Amino acid sequence: MNQPELTQECVLDEAGISGKIRELASSILEACRDDPPAAFIGIYTRGVTLAQRIQEALKEPWPDMQLGTLDISLYRDDLDNLGSTPVLRHTDIPFDIEGARIILFDEVIFTGRTIRAALHELIDFGRPSRIELAVLVDRGNRELPIQPDYVALTLDTTMREYVKVRFQENDDKEGVFLLRDSSK
Amino acid sequence: MTEEGLKPRKDLLDIESLDLEEIEFLLKTAGPFKELFSRSVKKVPALRGKTVLTLFYEPSTRTRTSFEIAANRLSADVTNFGVSTSSVVKGESILDTVDTLQAMRTDYIVIRHGDSGIPGLVAKHTRASVLNAGDGYHAHPTQALLDAFTLREVYPESAGKRVLIVGDILHSRVARSTSIILNKLGVEVSVLGPGSLVPPARHTFMHAFTNWGDALDWQPHVVYLLRVQLERQQEQFFPSLSEYHGVYGLTNRRVEILRQKGIYLMHPGPVNRGVEIADDAMKYERSLINQQVENGIAVRMAALYWLRPGTDERGGDS
Amino acid sequence: MSDDNHRTPLFFKGGHLAAEDEPVLFSANVLVEDGKITRVGEDVEAPANARVIDCQGKVLMPAMYDVHVHAREPGGEAKETIAACSDAAINGGVTGMVLMPNTIPAIDSSAMVQSVLDIAEASSRIPILTSGCITKGRAGKELAGIAGMHAKGVPVLTDDGSPVSNPVVLRRAMEYAKDFGLILASHCETMELSGRGAMNEGAVSYRLGLPGIPAISEEICLDRDIRLAQYTGAHVHIQHVTTARGMEAIRWFKGQGVKVTCEVAPHHLIFNEEDIQDYDTNYKMNPPLRTAHDNAELLQGLIDGVFDVIATDHAPHTEFEKKTDFVSAPFGITGLESAVISLYHYFVKLGKFGWDLVVKRYSAEPRRLIGLDPVPIVEGGTAEFIVFDPNATTTFSRDFMCSKSVNTPFLDQTLDGQVWMVLREGEILLERN
Repeated sequence: MNQPELTQECVLDEAGISGKIRELASSILEACRDDPPAAFIGIYTRGVTLAQRIQEALKEPWPDMQLGTLDISLYRDDLDNLGSTPVLRHTDIPFDIEGARIILFDEVIFTGRTIRAALHELIDFGRPSRIELAVLVDRGNRELPIQPDYVALTLDTTMREYVKVRFQENDDKEGVFLLRDSSK
Repeated sequence: MTEEGLKPRKDLLDIESLDLEEIEFLLKTAGPFKELFSRSVKKVPALRGKTVLTLFYEPSTRTRTSFEIAANRLSADVTNFGVSTSSVVKGESILDTVDTLQAMRTDYIVIRHGDSGIPGLVAKHTRASVLNAGDGYHAHPTQALLDAFTLREVYPESAGKRVLIVGDILHSRVARSTSIILNKLGVEVSVLGPGSLVPPARHTFMHAFTNWGDALDWQPHVVYLLRVQLERQQEQFFPSLSEYHGVYGLTNRRVEILRQKGIYLMHPGPVNRGVEIADDAMKYERSLINQQVENGIAVRMAALYWLRPGTDERGGDS
Repeated sequence: MSDDNHRTPLFFKGGHLAAEDEPVLFSANVLVEDGKITRVGEDVEAPANARVIDCQGKVLMPAMYDVHVHAREPGGEAKETIAACSDAAINGGVTGMVLMPNTIPAIDSSAMVQSVLDIAEASSRIPILTSGCITKGRAGKELAGIAGMHAKGVPVLTDDGSPVSNPVVLRRAMEYAKDFGLILASHCETMELSGRGAMNEGAVSYRLGLPGIPAISEEICLDRDIRLAQYTGAHVHIQHVTTARGMEAIRWFKGQGVKVTCEVAPHHLIFNEEDIQDYDTNYKMNPPLRTAHDNAELLQGLIDGVFDVIATDHAPHTEFEKKTDFVSAPFGITGLESAVISLYHYFVKLGKFGWDLVVKRYSAEPRRLIGLDPVPIVEGGTAEFIVFDPNATTTFSRDFMCSKSVNTPFLDQTLDGQVWMVLREGEILLERN
């Protein structure tokens, strides 16, 4: 994949992300005070990082929060059209999700298709009582009727723009970036 | 896309033509597939709506079933195209069959044939992805992948390990494909077998031992027994099955040595008890034979997942 | 047109001439009148009524003769016919040939010989001889009708495609046939060792998982047949030698004064087992392609004169028959149309040997072998020569080839050199624009 002439605008720096993660954590805590979730499940790759950060942020109220990971590659609806076959990561849900309240994490929600795949996969593990969705960025442009329950940042974007979240754990620097194809 | 991936191929015909990156991808991908087997729902929708056809000109219930389970667990529709194994089936009629399968919009063809090169011939004449499930003495790539995967389960750092392949090297596609994949992964491979069944013009990386004593002195980490086809005795490759067992078979006494040295045992199955392997050896605690069977499903899922029908015409990218 | 050709003198101007035992080409104009070469020389002038053919940069050489051709008629007309085969020969610069008798039915009687000669008479543009079988139906058991076939002009007996496996039968055939002056040509193969082999046995057959034909299958039979000839005093001709060891055995027996001649096919000089990539059945023939070492040794043997003749073993098979897996596909490739060009492309052009060798081994010696006179380009000689253009190329496309079959490794390949013109008895059989 060649990326010709992308201009890049930083919409959130490292400190900004930290703040947004604190906000996201507290809004989750607020909403779940009476009925704490049984587990956080992150969608590979950066959804896992986000889930870990929120778990860390909520260590005090919920010291035993379980963490699961989900690789949705096998549930994608566009496998036929990908230039390459995705590498599979370990889907690891080492707990029973039957009847449990689950919060799903992804770094960005866009078309909603990833979340659709994640829900499908999750339900193959059992029947949770409730699944909620937390994202760092909602960039709009949904193609499916799926909405997040917890959003740290909403960006108004067009289909020609890319939102890139970079985490220290996965990337060399941290921040939320808006990429634009200037050739178009 | 944030996912890193690997450009798919259309067909899986042999190990030779795979590069190390592709082999590593398939082995790595087989891991998550194997984890599926312990879930209550063992199925994923990756190949939903796709048709997988098995075309076995040589009967092999095991391999066919393994492919069928793999395809089923990827949610593909699997059909066995019944090929009469009693009638003589020539190459020409295979291409006719391929045309038929093409008309049926088959996405994947799993083929086994007694003649080398047939899967490649079929692959050239169809848009479907062709998976070689064994052709003549040539290749059995998914067997090689499952063997490598199994070896990695007991020795995650497989490079530098030593594998001794025992038996009919001459007529074995397993020996060919498995030795090639092991060699590519940096595993040392030696062979042991009757002089009539160990060709001098084998791959140069395979050292040949002529007796168990020398072979075990080489300190192999794994002994890989090949199946001895009973007709080889009629073709005078060795005097008798009992002599074969005594000289080249894994006798009870030799199992004891394996046990003392902690050597693992592999076999592509099905075994001929009392020929290449003593009855009691089947209970050997370091036998990986059942693990190989389970891993066979996982690597076949990985292969089906990776291949992409029609890739060659369309190009990988879209 | 052809009448006109006979009447109009042809003047080949400015070409270089090749001749056997003349390592250096020489420049000369050649005048052809009434089917004869009347003048050869640098200062020869064109008569006023002559058609002048500009041969600048081109090579004139005696036309080729192939002693090993499968024309498949009768019985295999889907693969080849005598008519198509003769067109293919002309297309490749060959103006005469000896057919192999493994037709269906086999050419094992004077009646069969006559019927083939009748077909040739009616449909071939070049003179054709046929060999006859050693044994009835090539079954290796009973001797064929030798005297009758000899009476019809058969110069060679062979069960080509198969050896005469029983040494007693071959011994009797040699003892009997030698009094007729017949040559016994041997396809050397020990069937038990060949088994169901499809290619040379060795590292490549191991890698491809194909059953192998070991070199010893050929060498043991070759040895046996020459010893039988030595013992019986017959003339044995070893067909399509492929191994260095087999060739060395022939060299040794020749030194012993045994009446043994032999041939090599261009494909056994050019290709080897490593070329069988991807199970391409156009590289499958019997005896099979051997090793790169054999290529080099056979080439040296050809230069040394161990090989009496070059012969193509032109063996057409339909695309349908060849479009199958390597084991099931029939043995054989075509060769008439590519022989001269491939010899140029792979050897003459690279200086491995000269045109004199091609003329000697593919034109003069084959004719002598079966008792015909060579056709050198000399004053008073018959005008049977080709004009070769080393500066042009030839693409072996389906359109280009005249054979009914296209089973050649050169299919759709382009080689340097072109057979530009072919003459026989002064008649222009082929002329390219």
